[in-house]
Amino acid sequence: MRWVWLIVLVFVPGLVAADESRAASQLSDLLNEEDDTGFAQALAVRPFSFPEDHGPHEAFRNEWWYLTGNLDDEDGRRFGFEITIFRFSLTPSPPEADSAWRTNQVYIAHLAVTDADGNRFFVAERYSRGALGLAGAQAEPFRVWIDDWEISSAGDGRSWHIHASDDEIALDLSLVPLREPVLNGDAGLSRKSSTIDSASYYYSITRLQTEGVITIDGKDSVVTGLSWLDREWSTSALAADQVGWDWFALQLSDGTDLMLYNIRKQDGSADETSSGTITFPGNRSERLYQSDFEIIVRDTWDSPKGGTYPSRWTVRLPERNLELDILPVIADQELFTMVRYWEGAVDIAGRREGRPVHGRGYVELTGYAE
Amino acid sequence: MIPVSYQASFRYLLRHPWQLALSLLGIAIGVAVIVAVDLANASARKAFLMSMDQVTGEATHQLVGGTRGVPEDVYARLRVDHGVRSLAPIVDGSVEIHDTVVEVLGVDLFAEQEIRAFTSEASVPTDTGEQSQQNLFRAFLTEPGSVTMSAATAAELGLRLGDAFTVVAGGIEHRGTLLGTYGGEHGGLDNIIVTDIATAQAWLGQAGWLSRIDARIVGDDPEVVERLESLLPDGVRLLTAAGRTQATAAMSQAFMTNLTAMSLLALLVGIFLIFNSVSFSVLQRRGLIAVLRALGVTRGRLFLMLLTEAAVLGLMAGIVGIVLGIFLGEQLLLLVSRSINDLYFRVSVTEVSVDTLSIAKGVIAGVGAALVAAAAPAVEATTYEPRLAMARSSLERRAGRSLPYIALAGAATIVFSVLVLLISGRDLVAGLAAVFLLILGFASCVPLAVRWASKALSPLAQSVGGTTMRMAVSGIGASLSRTAVAIVALAIAISATIGVSVMVDSFRGSVQEWLEQTLQADVYAGVQRGAMRPDLIEDLANIDGVSAVSTSRRTWIEDESGRTQLLAIRMAPGAYAGTELLDGAPEDVWTGWESDDVVLVSEPYAYQHRVTAGDVITLPTARGDRRFRVASRYQSYDINASAVMISRANYDRYFEDDGVDTLGLYLSTGTDVDGVIESIKTISQGRQRLRVDSNAKIRNLSLEIFDQTFVITDVLYWLATGVAFIGILAAMLALQLERAREFGMLRALGMTPRQVGSMVTVQTSVIGLLSGLAAVPLGVVMAWVLIKVINRRAFGWQIDMAIEPGILVSAVAFAVGVSLLAGIYPAWRAGRNRPAIVMREE
Repeated sequence: MRWVWLIVLVFVPGLVAADESRAASQLSDLLNEEDDTGFAQALAVRPFSFPEDHGPHEAFRNEWWYLTGNLDDEDGRRFGFEITIFRFSLTPSPPEADSAWRTNQVYIAHLAVTDADGNRFFVAERYSRGALGLAGAQAEPFRVWIDDWEISSAGDGRSWHIHASDDEIALDLSLVPLREPVLNGDAGLSRKSSTIDSASYYYSITRLQTEGVITIDGKDSVVTGLSWLDREWSTSALAADQVGWDWFALQLSDGTDLMLYNIRKQDGSADETSSGTITFPGNRSERLYQSDFEIIVRDTWDSPKGGTYPSRWTVRLPERNLELDILPVIADQELFTMVRYWEGAVDIAGRREGRPVHGRGYVELTGYAE
Repeated sequence: MIPVSYQASFRYLLRHPWQLALSLLGIAIGVAVIVAVDLANASARKAFLMSMDQVTGEATHQLVGGTRGVPEDVYARLRVDHGVRSLAPIVDGSVEIHDTVVEVLGVDLFAEQEIRAFTSEASVPTDTGEQSQQNLFRAFLTEPGSVTMSAATAAELGLRLGDAFTVVAGGIEHRGTLLGTYGGEHGGLDNIIVTDIATAQAWLGQAGWLSRIDARIVGDDPEVVERLESLLPDGVRLLTAAGRTQATAAMSQAFMTNLTAMSLLALLVGIFLIFNSVSFSVLQRRGLIAVLRALGVTRGRLFLMLLTEAAVLGLMAGIVGIVLGIFLGEQLLLLVSRSINDLYFRVSVTEVSVDTLSIAKGVIAGVGAALVAAAAPAVEATTYEPRLAMARSSLERRAGRSLPYIALAGAATIVFSVLVLLISGRDLVAGLAAVFLLILGFASCVPLAVRWASKALSPLAQSVGGTTMRMAVSGIGASLSRTAVAIVALAIAISATIGVSVMVDSFRGSVQEWLEQTLQADVYAGVQRGAMRPDLIEDLANIDGVSAVSTSRRTWIEDESGRTQLLAIRMAPGAYAGTELLDGAPEDVWTGWESDDVVLVSEPYAYQHRVTAGDVITLPTARGDRRFRVASRYQSYDINASAVMISRANYDRYFEDDGVDTLGLYLSTGTDVDGVIESIKTISQGRQRLRVDSNAKIRNLSLEIFDQTFVITDVLYWLATGVAFIGILAAMLALQLERAREFGMLRALGMTPRQVGSMVTVQTSVIGLLSGLAAVPLGVVMAWVLIKVINRRAFGWQIDMAIEPGILVSAVAFAVGVSLLAGIYPAWRAGRNRPAIVMREE
């Protein structure tokens, strides 16, 4: 669940870093003045069908394919990666086709690699119109791409492939889903605020067996590990009093996967629609409500570029007798892209039903720095 | 304290305000012309470079293709399949908004950040009045016709934010909307509108094609360049952005060099003028000089005094000239930019940017010219022996003795200039230098010729008008120390007029003849930019009375050596005669014209590229570089003179472009031309705006454009003549003032004021006549050099020289007229003098 991206378009290329004070006013412009008329809305529970729903839903304003993962190489070096491709519809329906370049579809992508042992973090960014094959998404065979960055289904359609590179980093990974898609919220309808039309369709594949090569500064590392896929599409935006969120994707050693998000309001409180999903081996999953969990910040990190992020948490699910201590593998995993946010690999240690568990995951923090 | 000698010097000048003012004015105009031309050239060039700078942005290289450009999928493949970044696609071209031609820059904002960040910095107000870039992106992508432009351009087009307007592209109307504007910090955006690449493609009929792809290769990394080149398909090549800008700018270089040369001519005349007045001032002050010498003023001191005087004069005139030049430059800039627009590339420049270099050039020209001009008389003054300086006769004797030597030096200069012409190959600047040497050489011979002429003429004058006339005529020869310079200045100005008139006239004649031969069809219909709709072409060909149709397509091909115009022609049966071939037998040339890999090259192309019939040239085609045999050269005075002509069949074979921009309609005998033109207008109404003209109208229009192009030449020569007029006036005035005692004597001897006045008038007329006559041979030689050397070297045109006797006669008449006019006041004054007073003054 990564709404931050609703504001991405405001900051389309290059405009933002220069004038950050503009961000807030533009965000509110967007939130208050965007006219949703004509776009499809996530209002009711709908049936999901795969592989069709892996593909784009252009009737909705925005959508993303979000892959994060924790990987190790043969020497035990620890890596994290994030590749996200966002899709935006600028208008409810496509404009008249007077040129192959004409489109209402815009794609933006972020690529990040964490080198935990080297205490290094790399970020790259792409943006393009969804026309002329420069960027796009399709269900069958599944493929979403922007320039030469690509997430696609490979071979028999059971496995996926990531290919992306920038000046210093490259990803070449194969991913095999270990679980079926999990529908978050109310059978995939995920409410983001108390207003009825502020919701998205949201599913995850919480475990994908991952192997391949991560390249940093020309040095290849053969890696294996687990990844997590998040898919979400919607039209509505954050409510005016919501300032950001903390999102957790946690994979535990006992086979349990936990997704939690906490929407923060201006007054510092958590929105009551904050929620989560717990998934057990064998694809069984349960919905979590705000009252089911508690997130306590244990430490903070000051970004050298300004802003203070939480950087250590205790997560409690009292009814399930679960308590987890979550620690970033390195402190600085801030993406200084069109929008500033923190998205990084974490280590997990804790106890469940009195027995120790550990694990790895990814955390996303937005709204802490402008 | 100012030394006595200097006080004497300035007091003298102040006592002769007219003479002072005229020589100041003469040199000021010379300087003004130099400054004006320099400013106009520099401003046009600066505007062009600034605009190129904005449009090129951070691109170091550009990918260019065939006549239609680069297929758009090349761009997608480079990015998606090969991961090449720092690329930005461009679709550009010209359209009209409110009858003003503007350049469309079609961009993909997502690719612009690294190349032209400014494109997304337009301020776009939202409904609530706030600025929003988001609106810019959304509107560019999803609202066809959205454009941004500089606030200045918007104002010029009369557009306000949100206004909708009609855009005419390739004769077809489209809708545009002004979405946002760029502030003043984005210079060089005059007459450029920025729009989304999709809109640009739709407007310019460029679906599927890009005009170019800009690339940014940091540090020109050869590995990156090599990799990129290896990825390009046939027909697409990688050129450096700087090279392309340079090649475009270089196109206008010859034009600008010629203008500079013309401005120097004005200064040269100005130099004679100063020489004239300084010589006079020396002559008139010979008494003073003798006194100063007798009082112990050294030669060096005297020399220094005269030079200082000249330098101060030059500086004052220079300052006046610069002010005048800036004003003149603004007027000239209009003409210069219009000529550049007509001839080379679009440049939008509205105001002169005054740069210090141009100003410095003006000051240096003014002071330098004054010093050079004063040097000779100053040296002469220092050679005066105190005693002899008083005597006039010794002066004339000296002047008379030196004439043959000066003429000899002049002859040597002429020989030298011919040598320069012979050995300088194709160098334009050397050619122009030779022209100046030629002028100087000729000028040096003129005084001797005048002495002979006045000697020869005086018996004739005696028999025609008696003693008064004889005195007037022989007086010219006897007072050459004062008249020669005026004669030379006028002769130079007049000969320049003759030279340029004959050149333009010959050129015009050649163009006219060429037009008559080339324009074979009866009616032409076409679009200036873009292509005609195919269905329209078919409908026009089917109009009653149309017996045959020819088509033409003008496009550009480009490689490392620059841009060349390509002319694809489908000739109507029997229309081959319209192309005047310069090599071989026509039937040999036309055999295989459509089937073999042959082309024709224009005469200027052949000159510039040093090719001739039988040679093989390589042209960049859509299918990669291809070799074509040059079947023949052909005559062309086209504005874009350097061109290659190819048969339509070959064009279709090698260039992926089925466009036609002009249709020539041949009518069967007896068909009403106007009726056909009306039919064309009716048929094209609402489909495509076509330019429809009869054969005769195009001919006239072409000649009009031709004349327009030479307006600037005319203006410059009128200015040079103006300087010469002032010179004559100043010389005459000074001469008559100085001869006041002589006139007084004549009056005392019984001459009536009328007789004295008419003697002066006759004298000035004869001076004019002699100058005019001396100018004729120099003018004709200059015309020949301009036509055969300068024009050829600058533009490659082959022009037949044709001398219209009227030009020569009117030039001589003009010289006489100018002299007469300049002589009116001195003549009136000479007659009015009261003998007793002027004689007593001595």
